Amino acid sequence: MTVRGRRLAAIFILAALPGWAPQSALAPAGDEAERIALLSWILFVGATAILLIVIAALALAIHGAEPVRRVIGSEGAIRWGGIVFPSVVLTLLLGYGLWLMREAIAAQTTPALRIAVTGEQWWWRVDYQRDGAAPVREANEIRIPVGREIDFALRSNDVIHSFWVPSLGGKLDMIPGRTNTLRLKAERPGMYRGQCAEYCGGPHALMALEIVAVPEAEFQAWLAAADARNELAEPKVAAGEKLFLSAGCGACHAVRGTQAAGMVGPDLSRVGGRRFLAAATLRNTAENLAGFITDPQVAKPGALMPPFEIFTSEEMDALTAYLGSLR
Amino acid sequence: MQPLAHARRTAAWLLAAPSRVFVAAVSALVLVLAGAVLFAWSGVYNVAASSGHFRIVDHFLRFGMENSVRARAPSTSLPPGIDESLVRLGAGHFHAGCAYCHGSPGTPISPVAARMLPPPPVLTERVGRWSDGELFWIVKHGLKYAGMPGFPSLHRDDEIWAVIAFLRRLPSLDRPGYRALALGEVEPEPQRGMGVATGQSEPDAIGACARCHGERQGPPSRLVPILHGQPAAMLENALRAYAKGERDSGVMQTATIGLPDSTVRHLAAYYASLPRPPASIETIDQAAAARGEAIARDGVPSHGVPSCLGCHGQSAAPDYPRLAGQPARYLEGQLAVWRKGLNDRSATGRIMAPIARRLSEAQSRDLAAYFASLAAPREAPR
Repeated sequence: MTVRGRRLAAIFILAALPGWAPQSALAPAGDEAERIALLSWILFVGATAILLIVIAALALAIHGAEPVRRVIGSEGAIRWGGIVFPSVVLTLLLGYGLWLMREAIAAQTTPALRIAVTGEQWWWRVDYQRDGAAPVREANEIRIPVGREIDFALRSNDVIHSFWVPSLGGKLDMIPGRTNTLRLKAERPGMYRGQCAEYCGGPHALMALEIVAVPEAEFQAWLAAADARNELAEPKVAAGEKLFLSAGCGACHAVRGTQAAGMVGPDLSRVGGRRFLAAATLRNTAENLAGFITDPQVAKPGALMPPFEIFTSEEMDALTAYLGSLR
Repeated sequence: MQPLAHARRTAAWLLAAPSRVFVAAVSALVLVLAGAVLFAWSGVYNVAASSGHFRIVDHFLRFGMENSVRARAPSTSLPPGIDESLVRLGAGHFHAGCAYCHGSPGTPISPVAARMLPPPPVLTERVGRWSDGELFWIVKHGLKYAGMPGFPSLHRDDEIWAVIAFLRRLPSLDRPGYRALALGEVEPEPQRGMGVATGQSEPDAIGACARCHGERQGPPSRLVPILHGQPAAMLENALRAYAKGERDSGVMQTATIGLPDSTVRHLAAYYASLPRPPASIETIDQAAAARGEAIARDGVPSHGVPSCLGCHGQSAAPDYPRLAGQPARYLEGQLAVWRKGLNDRSATGRIMAPIARRLSEAQSRDLAAYFASLAAPREAPR
């Protein structure tokens, strides 16, 4: 087996293991994901049992004793085993599935928090709704409080995307001109990886996100700190901010508290605190950041951002130091 | 009559079978080729330009050239009316690129160029024979075997049309009229012996930027940018990009090629230090300018277009040009060049290229109107 083949096999095996927590429907960490996992297991076990029964019937029909074969070949067996049994089983499964999913379809209670997530080619725009204040804008990494029900208002600005965080729940399409609401709840703190689950053009496979579930108090503190101005104690960081503003970065990217208010690209107000860059595709390191700024098309072919090859290495140092300091 | 009868018999024998015809044709071809090689190898043919052509050869070559040009030239022509900006830009390039071989009003063709074969024509007498499209084709592609070169950039038809607009004006020009168009505000010093002898004063001032870009005044053509007070770093990058051909312009490549690095730095610093020239009056479509302002301030986020002022405002990095107060026609022309997919080979060009391609022609026009309507600051930034 080639290296590539081995790697692919490893990915499939890992994805199937319940223990591979970051992105697996079989490692549920929320109510809806648990219901989906339960339904999946019922399907797997039931399908396996039925397959075994069919194989056994086939074997008996070929090699069994004459009376057994006569029973299997009778019209009654076909009526009961071929029509009544599947009809009843499938009807029960459908009813059970609908009953299980009733809360995902129409939730009665009011959510603790509403987060608008808008699909863009190829990243996620995130807005935390606040009472009596402007929403807090983020991108690609969504923080949520543990144990609270959260409504995700899913929209799209360009093409159809699909929002899927397998460990927390089912997937829901993001359709231009529509708002679909998905209610999720994380039972345990942790990182839950999600992915765009509807082909949305070129680097669709590089459109991922992370949901970070933290204790309620920590979440509230994080949200409240959104408007705090970042400290520019270090001269390098201050130089980086100056460069960020003068080189035109702010025409596409917003940083709260500065003149940078661009709406074209992801909000960078707290980019330094994210684990990943470029919609959860690159580790958030200074080198990766510098590489992405120099030529975004390498990491994300087709992205709107043009290459910025105009910075000296000192300037790039200052710029990445500044972006890293935004937390 | 015997030889004739013999030939007739041979011909009849050859034509009797297709294979014989084929062999005969191939043999004839080989003989002709061998003869040609022998002719070239022997050195009998005189390639001296000084010896001229036989009159019939000359007529034949001219006949072929004229028909080739007529067959290939586009049917487009200059828009009616007088476009002074176009004429001025064309005059500026003519002076640098064409006048040496073709002469100019008051300045005869250089004897060196006049001994070419065919000798370059005095254009005053010739341009009337060609249509606009034919002149355009000749200036763009040049003429094989005639020493007429093609245009330095095959992508900038707009610049070539400027040359054609000037060529239409040329026959009516006298020496002062020509020099006013081609040299603008540049007045080479009165010819003093020492200045000419030591090269301090150059009577034709071919390399003078101010011929087109102005110095005490602004550029005489609205197709030419105002360089006064632009950041030095941007000007340096632009000069280098033009010289390297990373930015497409036959006019500017001709003007910048071979400029030493120190000259580029001094030149950029000089224009950066110049105060803005008095603004010339330009009629601006106010509605277009208002639409342009909205794009310049907020961009068009749904189309991936950021705010222009992020990079082109007065406080932007010195790598980027300031657009306030630039002529609308120049800005529109440059945005059209971007939309054609050109200018994307320099570091700053690669930033602008994808953004400019997201702008429509109408949006570009509005933006040009907006930036032209802005009163540029009088003091030089940085």
